[in-house]
Amino acid sequence: MADSRGSHLSVVLDLSPSQWHLSAENPPTNPFPLSLSSFLSQLLTFLNAHIASKHENSLAVFGAFPRKSILLYASSNTPTSDDTMDANWFPPFRQVDFTVVRRITEELDSLEGASEDEAPTALVGALTKALCYVNRIMQPPAQAIAKPSDKVDLSTLPEPHILILSVSPDLATSYIPIMNAIFSAQKLKVMIDVCQIYGEDSVFLQQAAHLTGGSYILLERRDALLQYLIMCFLSPQSIRQTLSVPTQDRIDFRAACFCHKNIVDIGFICSVCLSIFCQPVPVCSTCRTKFPMKTLQRLNASRPASANVSNRPSPSPAQSRPAVTSTNGDTPRSHGLSELPSTSSINAHTRTASNGTKSS
Amino acid sequence: MPPRRDADFMDVDSDSDVSLPEDVRGKGKGKAKAGRKKDKGKGKAKDTQPYTWEASYTRSWETVQEDEAGSLQSAVEDWLARGRRKRLLNPATPIRRTIIRHLMLLLDLSSAMLDRDMRPTRFDLTLQYAREFVAEWFDQNPLGQIGVVGMRAGVGERVGEMSGNPQEVLGYLKERHKLEPTGDPSLQNAIEMARSSMSHLPTHSSREIVIIYGSLTTCDPGNIHETLETCMKDRIRISVVALAAEMKVCREMCDKTGGHFAVAMNEGHFKDVLFELVPPPAQHASAPRIISNSAGTGTGSTPADLIMMGFPTRLPDASPPSLCVCHSDLRSDGFLCPRCLAKVCDVPTDCDICGLMIVSSPHLARSYHHLFPVKQYEAVMSVEADAALACHACARPFPTAISATVTDGLSPWARYQCPECKQDYCSDCDIFVHDVIHCCPGCGK
Repeated sequence: MADSRGSHLSVVLDLSPSQWHLSAENPPTNPFPLSLSSFLSQLLTFLNAHIASKHENSLAVFGAFPRKSILLYASSNTPTSDDTMDANWFPPFRQVDFTVVRRITEELDSLEGASEDEAPTALVGALTKALCYVNRIMQPPAQAIAKPSDKVDLSTLPEPHILILSVSPDLATSYIPIMNAIFSAQKLKVMIDVCQIYGEDSVFLQQAAHLTGGSYILLERRDALLQYLIMCFLSPQSIRQTLSVPTQDRIDFRAACFCHKNIVDIGFICSVCLSIFCQPVPVCSTCRTKFPMKTLQRLNASRPASANVSNRPSPSPAQSRPAVTSTNGDTPRSHGLSELPSTSSINAHTRTASNGTKSS
Repeated sequence: MPPRRDADFMDVDSDSDVSLPEDVRGKGKGKAKAGRKKDKGKGKAKDTQPYTWEASYTRSWETVQEDEAGSLQSAVEDWLARGRRKRLLNPATPIRRTIIRHLMLLLDLSSAMLDRDMRPTRFDLTLQYAREFVAEWFDQNPLGQIGVVGMRAGVGERVGEMSGNPQEVLGYLKERHKLEPTGDPSLQNAIEMARSSMSHLPTHSSREIVIIYGSLTTCDPGNIHETLETCMKDRIRISVVALAAEMKVCREMCDKTGGHFAVAMNEGHFKDVLFELVPPPAQHASAPRIISNSAGTGTGSTPADLIMMGFPTRLPDASPPSLCVCHSDLRSDGFLCPRCLAKVCDVPTDCDICGLMIVSSPHLARSYHHLFPVKQYEAVMSVEADAALACHACARPFPTAISATVTDGLSPWARYQCPECKQDYCSDCDIFVHDVIHCCPGCGK
C-alpha cells in the first residue's frame, strides 16, 4: 500500500558528560569503548537515513543535559541560514548535522565551569518535551480548527515514534514522571524505543518500551551501534509488524518502596495515596494518614512469612532480570546466585541517586 | 434561532400531512389532523421554556457566535478560557481520592428501555455507553472492580460478579440477547442485591452503585426508604443517570448518599453525565459520612488502611506451558504470585490460592497523577524584552502581536508560565501538560 504518511521520529539523547567519559575509557575495563564523537557520527548517519527513507519523514532531536533539557533540532522550525551551503551536500542532511553538532558543542562548552559533582540529566524533561512536540504535530493545522467545515484528513498525519538513547542509570526520583510520560505516550499511540548504550539495564526504560510496544536493547557491542540503530529503530510502527525486531519479554514489574527505595516483592500499600512501604508503618509518610492498630498487628503477625520470601534468593529476580551474561560467551552460571548482585546494585544505584538529589 | 427552526419544521410537516392523507382519508379527517398538528406546534414553541432539570444544562451549540468575519476563532478562545477557569477551580494541592473503588453497575432492563427517544433505542445506546464507560473506568481506576446487575421483570438479576478484569466485565455486557428488556424494574430488589454483593468488602474500600434508569416507576416488595437507610449505613454512594425524567426517590437516594444525579437530555448528554462518574471522587468529610458516623456504625472511623500487595513475576512468552490456577488452562505466559508462587493469568487480581492482592507497579503508578497534580500555570499578562520566543515544550513560536479580544483568564500573549520553573508555554501545551502528561517539561515533576 503506497501511502503518503510520513513518520515522525523524536530522538532523546542522554548527554551526561561523566557517563560519556566512562563509556570512552580504554579496553581493560571497558571492552568496547565508544566516545561521544564517534557516537555522534553514527547517530547523524542514522538521522540522515531516517530523513532519506521517505520525503514526508520529519525529525526532532532533544538533548538531556545535566539539570536542563533542550530541543536541538526540529525539522518543522524554519531553517537558520547562517551556514554556507555546500554544493556537494544534500541540504537537509547538512542542516541536521550542522545544527545538532553545533548545539551540543555549545551546551557542553557552557558546562565547563560547572561544579565537580554532576547533576543528574534531565531525561524526564526531554521526554516530556518530545511528547509535547508529538502532540503539536499530531494536531490538525490551526486553520482547520477555525473552519470546522473543512474535513481534516487524519490519514495525512505522520506516524510518531520516540527513540531514547540513554547512558545514565535509573533515577529513583524520576519514577512517577516517567510513568506519567509512558501513559501519555500510550494515549497518543506513540511507540517508545530505548537503546541503553552504556551501563546497566534501566528498569524504568524497559517498562517504557514494553508498555508502549517499542523495543528495548541493551547495547553489548558498542562498536556496532549504527547497525543496531538502523536494523532495530529505523522502521516506523506500521512496518514493525512484518519485521522481526528484538523485543524483550522479561521485564521487572516490581516497585521500589517509598521509605528505603528497596525493590520489594510484597509491599504494604496505603489505601488513600497508594504509597508503597516495605514494612508496616503506623502513619503514611506521604499523606499523613494514620492506620488502625488492628491492621498493624495483623500485618506484623503475618510478616515473618513474607520476610522469609524476600530474604531467600527467590526465583523472581532470576526470571525477571534479563540474562545479561548469556551472549557474552561466559560460562553459564547458576541463575539464583548470579542475579542477586544485580538487584543489590540497583538498590545501591537508587540510594546514591536519591542522596545526590538531596545534596544538590 | 429556535423559533425559526420550529417554523421551518412545521412547514415541512404540514406539507407532507396535506399531500398524503387527504387522498386516502375523508376531508374532515384531514382537517382535524392538520388542526391537531398545529396544536402540537404550539406546544413545541412552549417547549423552549426548559424543564427544571434542564436548567443547569447550557445548550453549547447555541452559545457559539460567529464574529463579523464569520470565523469561530473568538468562540473557540472563549471555550478555551472556560476550560482553563474550570481547571483552576481544581485544587493544586494533593487531595485524598478514593483510589481503590468498587462499583456495581445497575442497568434498567425493563420494557421502558425499548423506547426509541434515543437512537437506536435506549437499551442499545445504554449497552454501548456502558461498554465505553467500563473501558474508560478501568483505564482511570486500574485497581477498581465492577459488577453488573440488571433490573427486569420485577427482580434484580445478577449479570456479572464483581471483577477487576475489564475483559470479563465487557464480556458480561457483550451478549445482547441475554439482556433483552422485559417487564417492570425494581429499584429496591436490585439495590439490595448490589448491597449484599458488596457486603464482604473491607472497610477501607469505597462502595458505589451507578444506576442507569429508563423507567419512571419502580415495583418494589417493601419500603425503599429502609433500603436507603441501610445503604447510608454501609456508606454506599449511589449515583443515578435517568433517561426519562427526574424521580423524587432517585434524587433523594443520590443526595443522601453523596452521589450524583443527572437526567440525560439526548445521546451526547447521556454520555457526558455518565462519564462524569469515571474519575475517582475526592474524599472529604461530607455530610452523609458524618451522618452515618453519628448513626453509630462505629468500627470504621478512619476509612484508611494499610493493604498488603504482591508484585508478581511476569513469565516470558517462551517459558514452558503450565496450568494456571484461575482457569486451569495450559498456557506459557502468566504471572507468579510472590507469596505462594501460584500462576495466574492476569493482574490485578487476588491470588486464588493465598488471597494476596497481586498488582503490577504500572497499575499503581497510573493512579499517582490523581495524587500529585501539576501546579496550574499562570497566564502571562505582560512580556519582558528578553522573554523566550517559542514555547518551552513544543518550540512553537509565540505570536508577536497581542491578541485583540482578551477574555478573562486567558493570556493576551498566549503564554502561560509555570510558577516553579518560570518557563513559558503555549495554550496547547498548557492543556496537554495538565490533562495528559501530568508532568511539567521544565521542572520535570
